[in-house]
This record gives sequence, structure tokens and C-alpha cells, in this order.
Amino acid sequence: MSPNNIISSADRILVTGSNGFIGAKVVEILLEYGFSNVRCFVRPSSKLDRLKQMLAKYPAGKTAEIVAGDLLSREDCQKAADGVSVIYHLAAGMEKSFAGAFMNSALTTRNLMDAFLEHGRPARFVNVSSFTVYSNLKMERGALLDETCALEDNAQERFDAYCFGKLKQEELVRQYGEKRKLPYVILRPGAVFGPGKKALSGRVGIDTFGFFIHLGGENQLPLTFVDNCADAIVLAGLKPGVDGEIFNVVDDDLISSGEFLSAYKRKVKPFFSVRVPFFVANAMCSLWEQYSKRSQGQLPPVFNRRRAAAEWKGNRFSNQKLHERLGWKPRVNMEQAMNAFLAQYESRTP
Amino acid sequence: MKSESKNLRIAIIGCGKIADQHVFAARRIGGCEVVALCDREVLMARQLGERFGVTACFADAGEMLRLAKPEVVHITTPPQGHYSLAKQCLEAGSHVYLEKPFTVTAPEAEELICLAERRGLKLTAGHNLQFTPEMLEMRRLVKLGFLGGKPVHLESHFSYGLGDASYVGPLLGNRQHWVRQLPGQLLHNILSHGLAKLCEFLDDDQVEVIASAHQSEQLRSLGGAEILDELRVLIRAASGTTAFFCFSTQIKPGRNELRICGPVNSITVDHASGSLIRHENRSYKSYLTFFAPPLVNARQHFRNAWINFKNFLTGKLHQDSGMKELVECFYQSIKNDSAPPLSYREILLTARIMDEIFAQIYKPKPPVSKPSP
Ligand SMILES: NC(=O)c1ccc[n+]([C@@H]2O[C@H](COP(=O)([O-])OP(=O)(O)OC[C@H]3O[C@@H](n4cnc5c(N)ncnc54)[C@H](OP(=O)(O)O)[C@@H]3O)[C@@H](O)[C@H]2O)c1
Repeated sequence: MSPNNIISSADRILVTGSNGFIGAKVVEILLEYGFSNVRCFVRPSSKLDRLKQMLAKYPAGKTAEIVAGDLLSREDCQKAADGVSVIYHLAAGMEKSFAGAFMNSALTTRNLMDAFLEHGRPARFVNVSSFTVYSNLKMERGALLDETCALEDNAQERFDAYCFGKLKQEELVRQYGEKRKLPYVILRPGAVFGPGKKALSGRVGIDTFGFFIHLGGENQLPLTFVDNCADAIVLAGLKPGVDGEIFNVVDDDLISSGEFLSAYKRKVKPFFSVRVPFFVANAMCSLWEQYSKRSQGQLPPVFNRRRAAAEWKGNRFSNQKLHERLGWKPRVNMEQAMNAFLAQYESRTP
Repeated sequence: MKSESKNLRIAIIGCGKIADQHVFAARRIGGCEVVALCDREVLMARQLGERFGVTACFADAGEMLRLAKPEVVHITTPPQGHYSLAKQCLEAGSHVYLEKPFTVTAPEAEELICLAERRGLKLTAGHNLQFTPEMLEMRRLVKLGFLGGKPVHLESHFSYGLGDASYVGPLLGNRQHWVRQLPGQLLHNILSHGLAKLCEFLDDDQVEVIASAHQSEQLRSLGGAEILDELRVLIRAASGTTAFFCFSTQIKPGRNELRICGPVNSITVDHASGSLIRHENRSYKSYLTFFAPPLVNARQHFRNAWINFKNFLTGKLHQDSGMKELVECFYQSIKNDSAPPLSYREILLTARIMDEIFAQIYKPKPPVSKPSP
């Protein structure tokens, strides 16, 4: 553990969404680093097998605390934030409805920040956001997408509730930083992959119509392996001098959508896929969007130009800031990461 | 009370998941404008307002009614707030659209209806499945006398999958969740759609209700505690019409159907496929009994598909067409000072039968006597 950390190993740390895909890894890395006072916040309905198994592996896991509640409840937030120095906030609304996504991403964050400021010992609030907040609609294909790029300004038109929730969540965090001096860091991971999550990223393609349409072509994928991503998140809560900063999280040696799909087909199962170039996908999405508008939403605008751009236009990505300011290095290289991701299809993990 | 202004001024109280659909419906109707949004959590009102260009957002219903002066208020809060909020709106002179279930109990529903009538205002309930194209067609046939008389027997099936973890998860994990606080719990929040269809034809208020419910294996494995999710109900109206209602989370594929059996002909309405089948009382000679009826049915299925396809091409096959139709009829009834689209009798009967069902299935179990040592 670095002596330069903003907290000591005995300080209390809260991880929300700690039973989730990335959250459980964040807890694991904190234990690995020797933090002995980790509080895991879970919803009462969560199945805790994965988290409990992991906690059992570490001596410090015995002292880790599991607190059940819902971040929509201010009382539960108070319970969660009491005496806490650093919050890793990973809980998020994955619902399809805008109200649901807003509630579980933005309202929860507001409640948690209030509780943190009132009942915690705020040293850092690590807000885990997502690449989804960017809009590359006006960017050239292949242009570099970094932390300075424009954010989505019409999530409703993009028909993306998750994006809306995350945008509003970030907006609130920045407001609390400005007005209430909350010390925060925002992380925006790209497509997080690894054992425990089997679905292919929508950036590769979709199987909505009964067969796989490969839409990502040779675009670079903003991949980050779950261990690497979790490590970046952990560092963001410990490093001094990064308050108010935003970090994109992607791995080194990114591969293309085509390479990812080929590896998947080779290892998991060969299947039929049709490659559709971006200009065709974009035209189809544009037609769909127009029809949706003309028919007053008879077909919801699930395909539209904003989504086409965000998912399939293609950009280059950089993790320079992550390396430089957080001193982050990938724990696992891309080859090992792909092997670990694909190996889960051999084992019987659900 | 006839509404004078050209554009009806609409407000929404409760800016959760369903509120989006209400705003969309109002937008598609025209002749109305959403002027105010209200939610105890003002950020919820603001997120909706930001997406739909409504700037007047409130946390307090009284303030909203005073400042925005809406002619119609849609109440889309959890049911526990329906009665008091609707009363407040009626007292402020607004017509009210209440999402289902209309109120938590039938006496509350009665009180609201009396108040609305005293004040010359209108109320309706969010029984939007009553207004889908296939239900409108069913009603047209019934009016034409297709059944050949009063319905003899009715059957309504309503299915609801437990697969949506984002809804069921929080509900199961939290005993304080508003759904868990309703007398009929999960059933209370969903039942009225399937029941209202029966109540439309149970033309006598003196009904006998026998309800039985249990918890499915699936819900038990999800940790469903005391929640019941498999319900069967037998109903008999004093006039002799009988009805069967089945609510299930387990039947696959899910059924969302109404069957009306008349003394001459019958009708089946299937919401899942947006279709209507007429069952005509014809007899066929000899082996034709085995050939003709399936072909007649096939023709009807083909016709349904064709109608749906035509409606799709002309942009009339919206998934929420029932809600739009209901809202539009409600607004028309306000503008023309005519009868609201759902009769108060039907709303009340639905509420009373629900009360009766929940009293029967959630009644305290007699204590099990301990075997003597
Ligand atoms: N996975 C990716 O590719 C990716 C990419 C970029 C950013 N991210 C961000 O990374 C974070 C973690 O993602 P993930 O993939 O690990 O998601 P996940 O597995 O779905 O975990 C999200 C967690 O949030 C919890 N949660 C949701 N609403 C809550 C509430 N009201 N109160 C308390 N807890 C609540 C969920 O609890 P339950 O278990 O009870 O449902 C779940 O454990 C999220 O903020 C996400 O936006 C993910």
C-alpha cells in the first residue's frame, strides 16, 4: 500500500453495488491492498454468493461489513455512509425506463452524497460513470475520444435511459463538488468485460433480428478487463491531487470489434453473422428514427443516429491520463484478458 | 361543467415510470397541453420536464394546483396516495384521471365518485386495456347483438411474468416497498386490468365471489415471503351471469384474454396478439364438423393479422393505443360534458370485487392447534 494514499488502511471505505460485476472486484482489490474496514452495500434482494465467496478468500474479508439497504432510502444511505472516508459508488440503474434509470443512478447518488457530507468523513467520492455519457455525433470517424469530448445532449432522442441516468448522476456530482465542496473523482469505463459477464458488447453488434449483425467492423473497442477497471477505480479513491478530475478507463493494446468477434467465434461457437458497414447502419438507423417520429412512436426509436454514432461510428481511445495521473497499469494484458473472458464459456459458471 | 379553453391544461402528479406514457398519450392526442408536473421528489418532476419541455415542476400538489390551475390532473403515484390527491384535485376544481388501481379500497372509490358528482367534475380509472382496438371491436359486436342476449359466462385470464428483476427484485427485498403495503400486495397493483373487463358485463352489483390463491414455486425460490401470485376467482352476479378470473405468473405463454359467452354466440379477445375471434353457433353436417370450423377460425386469424398489418402501415398500432384512446375519450367527455368513458358502476364494482378477493385470500389463518403431548 502506498504511503501517499489519502487514507490509511484502517479508514472506513464504502463500496456501493458491491455485489455487482465490477463492484465485487473493487472490494477484492481493496482487500488485496490491505484495507481492513470495507463496508459492502448491497440490496436486500441481492444473491450474495459471489461476494461472500470472495470475502472468505481474504483475512480482511472477515472484518468486511455487509450492509443491506436501498440507496433510494435516505435512512439506508445514512447507515451506509456513517463514518466513511472514501465511497466507491458503483450502484447504478440498468432499467429501460428513463424514470427508473434516473431514480437508481441520479436520485440514489444525491441521497448518498448528502449522507456522506453529513455523516461521513469525506476524503473522496469516486463516482463510477460510463463511456455512455459521450456523444460522438459531431466527431469524425476514428477521431480520438478523450475526457474533453462533448457529452450527450439529448439522451431522450438517443432513446437511452441508462445514458440519461448516468449523465444526470454526473451532473449532480459536479454540482455537489462546486456548491458543497464534495471531493470527487469521476471515472468513465468503456466496455467492461471479463468472467462473470457473458454478453457481447453492443458495440460489436446485435442479434435483435434473429441473427448476428456485426456492426462494429474494424472499429477499436473501448475494452477494459474487469480487474483492470476495478484497479483504476480503487486508485481513483486513493491518489492525492486528483479531486474534480475525470478519467476514461480503457486498457492498453485495444483490439478491434472484428478481432473480438473472431476470437469469440473461434473459442465459444461458430455462428452466422452479417457484417454491415457503418454508412449502411447509420442510414438504416436514420430511417428508423424518421419512421418512429412520423408514426408518433409506433416503433420506439431504439435505432437512431445518435445511438449508431455512439456504438458503431468508431473512435480511437486513450488512457494516457489514467496512466499519468493515477499511476495505473493494467494488471492483465489484452491477451490474458481475452483468454480469461473466453475461458468462462468452458467452465459451468452461469 | 363544460371546458371553455381550447387546449385542455393537463398536469401530472407522480413522475415515475408510467408518467412518460401519459405525456406521450397527451402529445399524440392534441388539443391539450401538459402544463405542470409534480412529484414529492422534485428531481423526478424535473427529469420528466426536461425530457418533454415542461418547465413548471412542483414538489407540492397544493402549490401546483394553485399556480398551474390544471383542468385535468393525471395521478400516477403509488395507489396509497390516490385517494387524498384525487380529493385535493377535485376540491381545487380539476377533473381527475387516476392510474389503476383506482383507490386502495372501495369505500375510498365511492367517496371520490360522490365528490366528483357533487362538484360536476369527472373521474376515470387507468383501465386502459378496456380501450385497445380489439376491445373496441368486441364492444361494437356486443352492441350489435352478436352474443344474442346477456352474457351467460365470462372468462378473463391475466398473466404477469416475474422475469423483470428490476421490478420484482426491490419489491421482494423490501417489506416497506409500497406494493408490499397494499392489502392485496402484488395482485393489488395488477389485478384491475383483468377484472375490469369482467365487471363491464356483470350488470348486477350483488355479486358472489369465491377466491383462492397460492404462492408459485418460482416466487418462493425468489424469496417471495407472504406474497401470493397465483389467483383464481369465481364470480356469480345476482342476474345469473358467471365469471372466472385467472391471474398467473406461471402460465407460459402468458395469457391476456377475455372470453364472453353469450346465449347464441361467443367472442374471444386476445390482447397478446391484438386479435378477436367470433365463435358462431353453426352446425355442420357429418365430418364437416372437423373441417369447416378450423378453416373458419383460420380465416379469422388471417383477418386479424391483416387488420393489424394495415394498422401498422398506417401508424395506428401503438403499443399503448388503449391508453391513448381512454385519455382521448376522457378529454372528449370533459370538453363535451358527456359521460366519462368508464362508467362509475364499473370502477366501483372492480374496487369492491378486489376488496372481497383480498379479504378472502389474505384473511388471517386460524391458529394451528398444537398436538397434545
Ligand atoms: N459493465 C460495464 O460494461 C460498465 C461500463 C461502464 C460503466 N459501468 C458502471 O459501472 C458500475 C457497475 O457496473 P456493473 O456492470 O458492475 O453493474 P451491476 O453488476 O449491474 O451492478 C450494479 C449494482 O447496483 C446495485 N443497485 C442498483 N440500484 C440500487 C439501489 N437503488 N440501491 C442499492 N444498490 C443498487 C445493484 O444491486 P442488485 O444486485 O440488488 O440489483 C447492482 O449490484 C455502474 O455504475 C455502471 O454504470 C459498467
